[in-house]
Amino acid sequence: MSSFKELFSIFHLKPNARREALYGLAFISLWLIGFLLFTLFPMIATLVFTFTNINLAQEQSLQFVGLQNYLAMFKDSQLHNALGVTFKYALIALPIGLALPLIVALLLNNKYLRAKGFFRIMFYLPFVIPFVAGIFAWGGLLNPEQGWINQGLEALGVQNPPGWLNDPTWVYPGLVILGLWGIGSAVIINLAGLQGIPTELYDAAKVDGAGWWATLWNVTLPMMSPVLFYALVLGVVGVFQYFLVPLVITDGTGRPGGATMFFNLYLYKTFFTFQNMSYGAAQAWVLFLLILALTVFLFWSSKYWVHYAGDTR
Amino acid sequence: MSRRIVSVSILVAAMLLIIAACAPAAPAPAPTQAPAAQPTAAQPTTAPAEPTTAPAEATTAPQATTAPEATVAPTATALPTAEAGRKQIRWFVGLGTGTDPAQVKVQEEIVKKFNESQDKIQLVLEVVAYDAARDALATQLASGNPPDIVGPVGVSGAEAFHGQWLDLAPFIDKTNYDLTQFDKGAVDFYKVGGEGQIGLPFAIFPSALFYQRDMFDEADLNYPPHKYGEKYKWKDGTEEEWTFDTLNKLAEKLTVDKNNKDASDSAFDTKNIVQYGYEPQYQDLRAVGSYMGAGTFVAPDGKTAQIPPQWAEAWKWVYDGVWKEHIIANGPTRESQEFGQGNPFNSGKVATALTHLWYTCCVTDAGGNWDVAVVPSHNGKTTANFNADTFRVLKASKNPDEAFTVLTYLLGDGSLDLLKAYGGMPGRTADQAAFFKSLDETWKQKVDWQVFIDGIQYADNPSFEGYMPNYNESFDLANVFLNKLYTTDGLDMDKEIAQFQKDLQAVFDKKATP
Repeated sequence: MSSFKELFSIFHLKPNARREALYGLAFISLWLIGFLLFTLFPMIATLVFTFTNINLAQEQSLQFVGLQNYLAMFKDSQLHNALGVTFKYALIALPIGLALPLIVALLLNNKYLRAKGFFRIMFYLPFVIPFVAGIFAWGGLLNPEQGWINQGLEALGVQNPPGWLNDPTWVYPGLVILGLWGIGSAVIINLAGLQGIPTELYDAAKVDGAGWWATLWNVTLPMMSPVLFYALVLGVVGVFQYFLVPLVITDGTGRPGGATMFFNLYLYKTFFTFQNMSYGAAQAWVLFLLILALTVFLFWSSKYWVHYAGDTR
Repeated sequence: MSRRIVSVSILVAAMLLIIAACAPAAPAPAPTQAPAAQPTAAQPTTAPAEPTTAPAEATTAPQATTAPEATVAPTATALPTAEAGRKQIRWFVGLGTGTDPAQVKVQEEIVKKFNESQDKIQLVLEVVAYDAARDALATQLASGNPPDIVGPVGVSGAEAFHGQWLDLAPFIDKTNYDLTQFDKGAVDFYKVGGEGQIGLPFAIFPSALFYQRDMFDEADLNYPPHKYGEKYKWKDGTEEEWTFDTLNKLAEKLTVDKNNKDASDSAFDTKNIVQYGYEPQYQDLRAVGSYMGAGTFVAPDGKTAQIPPQWAEAWKWVYDGVWKEHIIANGPTRESQEFGQGNPFNSGKVATALTHLWYTCCVTDAGGNWDVAVVPSHNGKTTANFNADTFRVLKASKNPDEAFTVLTYLLGDGSLDLLKAYGGMPGRTADQAAFFKSLDETWKQKVDWQVFIDGIQYADNPSFEGYMPNYNESFDLANVFLNKLYTTDGLDMDKEIAQFQKDLQAVFDKKATP
């Protein structure tokens, strides 16, 4: 709102300031036009589509169908399965995705660690490998019959190694392992957060007789909470948009037994395989609202567990 | 002053950028991209393009005309302005093969030749990447801006646009187009009840059993029959009907573990198989079923889902082959690099494979000593299912007469160049000998191509690729089911098939807006 005010206040500026503001607007105009044409307009268009019957696979005249596309979701068992799969995966992947980068960052930040630079590079390196290439490589590693992981487990004497991506029980751990391949970026963010914690706090804790655990619990974690909050919000958004890995690994089939038919993948198939544009658009809006609601909840909850330095709350 | 000039220049440059961005793309092919993945089933690996379907799954057949892997599909090009006095006919390529840059070049030359040969019609080529082609065509149809001719496209690709193809019969009558140049069976293949003659033969792809001579020699087995009706001769001189049971026995002998024990040996190690006996190579669920007899998922009322009993038998045969007899690679194995990443026969570690003629596209790593044999029979009947690609005219074409003229050119004067580019067997019988001669130049081991020609008589009717309500979703469901068979041990197949039928009915019943 204030930015709208600022925009219109341009006309009340002095000539030099106004010219400067106009130049600024001119420089961002390409982005603005791109945003309007390629983001805002399509978003509004998809909202309109949700109230119509556009299905490219079936010949029919365009009709206004009210809330039918939304109501249909209550009866769509595949959609319910997709939602369940997404939540199940989120419950496993989010805690690990938050904790592991922090643990790795704590290790990399440890004063006793030698060759810190080398380890940081090693943890970050996988992140620069193209994601799809990484997925294919991991698909091969996790292959239950020919993959190196199971061959290694068998060599260690494991009689029936997991079926990983082929087994409904093991598929989520398999996907989580695959996802950990790219934690390098999160490790760097956590590391930056750790290095930003004032050393006086640790000194004070030491003076007070705090041990390693008490220091972690009472100093490190509270001071890291803004970073963890940031990672959690991005993680929630990311997990609900989880798409590329199951698409590449299972070619969008959702195997085994629908266990990898994530919400976003089902949405994609509704759009581009079944060509049911209106129903796909309705799913997309539901996903958007779901993520929005969760994000709003996280922001609301942050006042109870996120601590900002200098914050008086 | 100079600041103003700079700022004006920046604004002008920005405007030019916007205008340039909004302008139609130049008609140059896009840079190469990843191989087209099929919109269907299953496996993470992308199969080489099939005649018309892009292999997506490990088990979905490449279609009759799919572009070879690793080639890039050019994106759609801007339409030139219609030339004065000429009617513009748009030729849409992308639902099957034809998107490979080398193929695009040939198609462009055909367009040039056609346009130079007359002054009434301006033929325009539109090439869309395989992955995007269905959506692009659907969007063009929905927006009232359809092309005139579409192809090459197989039955499956065409059925995604069921009911939208023009009946050519009136145009054939009007122009006295000679149908005797084609095999009658091939012409009738495109005669669809209620829709008329919705295509004419162009490229056909009969099926056969590919086999590795060396593996048969090593197992001390005679080769499978090359003539329909012949029996299989065992080394001890006994003869047996050439059926799927016989193929099963052979496959057991040809499936070998790391200790060189075959699958019929009680000491066979199922955990360490180094060679498999059989593979339904790039065959989708319906194709797998149709080798045991033609059928369709749709009951005569056009809306009830049914499972032909012979298809259920075929699926059980394959399922047992994967999980009980271990003569067929399971899902994870077929996806592995060692077994060809979705193309097991091409890994050179599979002894036999039922597939179509277009598979010659994708067998380059299987060694140079494979041959083909006839399809086994089932319950006394042989069904060598059949893929076919052709060009079709859309009902929505604004100039159907001119479109038919172009169609006859593509099937006539332009056909030899196009068939060579697409790798298709000519539907016109007179051209077939030359086609196989050209294949002999590539495959020097003297493949018995006559097996394919003989197989045409055993084509499945109705075609396994025929109409299903809610085609795209039904097709997807079938692929998911087939994938389940390859990846899940211990299924109660009767129960699974009954559930699949129920799920299929639910998809058939879905309306445009759920």
